[in-house]
Amino acid sequence: MKTKIKNQNKQNKGASQWNIAWRRFKRNKTALTGAFIIGFVLFLAAFDTLIAPYEPNEIPAFYTGEARTPPSSKYLFGTDNIGHDVFSQVVYGARSALYVGFGAAGIAMAIATIVGLISGYYGGIVDNILMRVTEIFLVIPFLLILLVFLKVITAVAPSGVGGLSMVTLMIGLFSWSSNARIIRGEVLRVKQQEYVEAAKTLGASRIRIVFRHILPNVLHIIIVLTTLLIATSILVEAGVSFLGFGDPNAITWGQQLQKASEAVKQAWWEGIFPGLFITLLVLGFSLLGNGLRDALDPRLRE
Amino acid sequence: MGRYLVRRMLYLIPLFFGILIIVFAATRMAGDPVRLMTTLNPYITEEARNNLIRYYGLDQPLYVQFFIYLSQLFQGDLGNSYAIRGGLEVTTLIGYYIGPTILLQIASILLALVIAIPIGIYSAKRRYSKLDMTVTTTSLVGTCIPVFYMGIIAILIFGYFLGWFPAGGLITQVTETRGYFLGNQILDILWHMFIPTAVLTFAILAPIVLLVRSSMLEILKQDYILAARASGLSERAVVYKHALRNALIPVVTYIGIYFGGMLAGAPITETVFNWPGVGRLFVEATTKLDFPVIMGITVLITIMTLVANLITDLTYGYIDPRIRVE
Repeated sequence: MKTKIKNQNKQNKGASQWNIAWRRFKRNKTALTGAFIIGFVLFLAAFDTLIAPYEPNEIPAFYTGEARTPPSSKYLFGTDNIGHDVFSQVVYGARSALYVGFGAAGIAMAIATIVGLISGYYGGIVDNILMRVTEIFLVIPFLLILLVFLKVITAVAPSGVGGLSMVTLMIGLFSWSSNARIIRGEVLRVKQQEYVEAAKTLGASRIRIVFRHILPNVLHIIIVLTTLLIATSILVEAGVSFLGFGDPNAITWGQQLQKASEAVKQAWWEGIFPGLFITLLVLGFSLLGNGLRDALDPRLRE
Repeated sequence: MGRYLVRRMLYLIPLFFGILIIVFAATRMAGDPVRLMTTLNPYITEEARNNLIRYYGLDQPLYVQFFIYLSQLFQGDLGNSYAIRGGLEVTTLIGYYIGPTILLQIASILLALVIAIPIGIYSAKRRYSKLDMTVTTTSLVGTCIPVFYMGIIAILIFGYFLGWFPAGGLITQVTETRGYFLGNQILDILWHMFIPTAVLTFAILAPIVLLVRSSMLEILKQDYILAARASGLSERAVVYKHALRNALIPVVTYIGIYFGGMLAGAPITETVFNWPGVGRLFVEATTKLDFPVIMGITVLITIMTLVANLITDLTYGYIDPRIRVE
């Protein structure tokens, strides 16, 4: 009897939730464009030392008197005032952007998921307390606090402790609140479903219900939110770096824009290219997020 | 309604305190502003340093500092700056800088609303038309461009290449020889406002267009719209009288939430355009670890955000009678 059911399950696996989603995703042109853009930047980040013609700290144009020259066949994106090759700098920036994006979104979504699951499933006073804390993080002027924390941390530990990881951690710690609320709302909806009731009646433990029955059914929301949050985190990091609160030792697009903004008039190429890549990568994640939403939401299915 | 308002406001108090504690903890976590202030002075003695620390009350335990700050806050006193403009009162300092910030933000939000709502409606009515595709693509890309990048490009094009508008600042300085634009102070400010307002408007515009469009599409599928059409109302009346009102609810929420966000984003926008607002003041204060100014601006922006949220809540009931304010 048991084996028979198992076999049946195996046969039915052909059209699982994820299979249907994948099929819909493949047909979604915007999502594929997004995936392609992200793939391109991932490629840049993975092979940056091979693609970039110069080392991160190399100043080839300095010795030849070609500092701050416009794009040419020798320097694809031109050179900056010190003599860096802007193209190489942009290539090296890809890794930082992806690191911050995935890192910060990962941290924030981990918190958001845990808070959302607990708050939505347990309800009552636990929900009440968690939601009040969430509200504080929702209303708090995010960027201002971020700047203060980053400044204070670099003031305490001038070397080492700060850095790109600290920026990533801080962005993550302050950007989970709205997503926690959305996940909670979704958990509240799923909690009412018959299959959860059935699992309860069968005597499943709370942990089992939360992780085996509720989490898989809110997972599509979590995936979409994560993708969109990666885009936001990249934007936030660029903004923080632009203000000069980022990691001075890392090569980031935001920092290149900051340096460029001091001399837009003399050298437009210094800022145009890093900014273009920020926009491109953020667009990639936004497109992918929107595409995933269409593909994964069971309610949108025809 | 009155009771609801009171309850809402009571509810905001713990929220406010929570935020206050976080900001306070952040500023005092490590900072020794006195050391920062005096690093450039090689002659200062350890004793003078300690005197300064005592003068600012930084030697007290943290909770004492917090209660002193609170009691002053309730008297409307935000303390004195440590490092900006010779230790000016924070309230006076904010008074100098808040005007330009409000001017720029309000102008941009209003402009964005006026432009975005008709575009969103039009786009929704002609779904999948060429124009709709252009609008949605432009808006989507618009939400992905960092505001400061947009600003740099606008400054580059309009400020330098074309030279139509000044690249930064609020007003022509006395030191500049050319004098006010057309010799008028107000015209001069408007002239300076052009690039920042245009960029900010576009940045706010993009998400609102997408929001109005999707919300309108949702509403136009509703039964009561079908009913309105069936009863022979003109398309105009259906869209503007029946659908628009409900389609605007998400927009109200958006404005409510993002009003705070936009103010908090002021450091970035104001730095790009060299705009003398609280955002740039905040950046300056943070670099100098000027705690009273940092706290003051954060408190101000938090209060403004909370008030914006409250107004949003109250507006719901007005726009959509189905949402009862209870």
